[in-house]
Amino acid sequence: MAGASEEPRALLYRALDEHGDRLYAFALRMTRDPDLAADAVQEAFTSALRKFDTFRGESNVATWLHRIVYSKAVDLIRQRGKETPLPEDEEAILGPEDDRLARTPAWARPPDEILQNRQTKEALEAAMKQLTPLQRAVFSLREVDGMSTEEVASVLGMEPGTVRVHLHRGRLRLRALLSEHFRGVPS
Amino acid sequence: MTSDCDELGRRLTDLRDGALGESDCAAIEKHLAECPSCGDLHRDFEDLARLCRESDRPRMPLAVRRRIEEALK
Repeated sequence: MAGASEEPRALLYRALDEHGDRLYAFALRMTRDPDLAADAVQEAFTSALRKFDTFRGESNVATWLHRIVYSKAVDLIRQRGKETPLPEDEEAILGPEDDRLARTPAWARPPDEILQNRQTKEALEAAMKQLTPLQRAVFSLREVDGMSTEEVASVLGMEPGTVRVHLHRGRLRLRALLSEHFRGVPS
Repeated sequence: MTSDCDELGRRLTDLRDGALGESDCAAIEKHLAECPSCGDLHRDFEDLARLCRESDRPRMPLAVRRRIEEALK
């Protein structure tokens, strides 16, 4: 893990090498726009350099940079003004609407070759675009990047229990959105 | 599906995340084994996780990397 005592530019160059692709992929999932994703990541790095004294090494540098990219991406989404609800508007308790989604008919059991084919991967990407920004952030960090729930909570500045609520809701919505794709797949 | 299913369904992510105590885990596992609808939901979550682990990750374009390197100089 990179330490806070390392020279800021050197640490951020190294972070760009080690985590640049993950940060860009996260920004792209959040903004759904390559130009905005590029802006979010670049602004995150310049902001990290400018505010390096706020990084004291309590979290690792990847978590810290993900947190800044998330903040920049949400700012850009807000400026674009097309996407609702924004993270602060989302209900943090599971309710009847979530229960209703859980009753969506189950997927036909997808064989491995169907689960791994290009059409399925494209269907997943398209479905993720339909999640809210917060669901997309939680789901992307937890399930695609493989962060722990505690790391996701640190990136998003929320309690782990709240992360699990949004993760559960994201899973339910993706399952429902992908059910059409798997319909008719022989079990 | 029953109201038990709703309650247990809401806790499936807690179960998958290891956030429940032993007795809660045992109760949910028992329900999953007995209830086809909840068992399907659990299996769909597992397939969804596999699908995500195997999904493609876009790489940062070289031009973007160059912009960031310039900004860090």
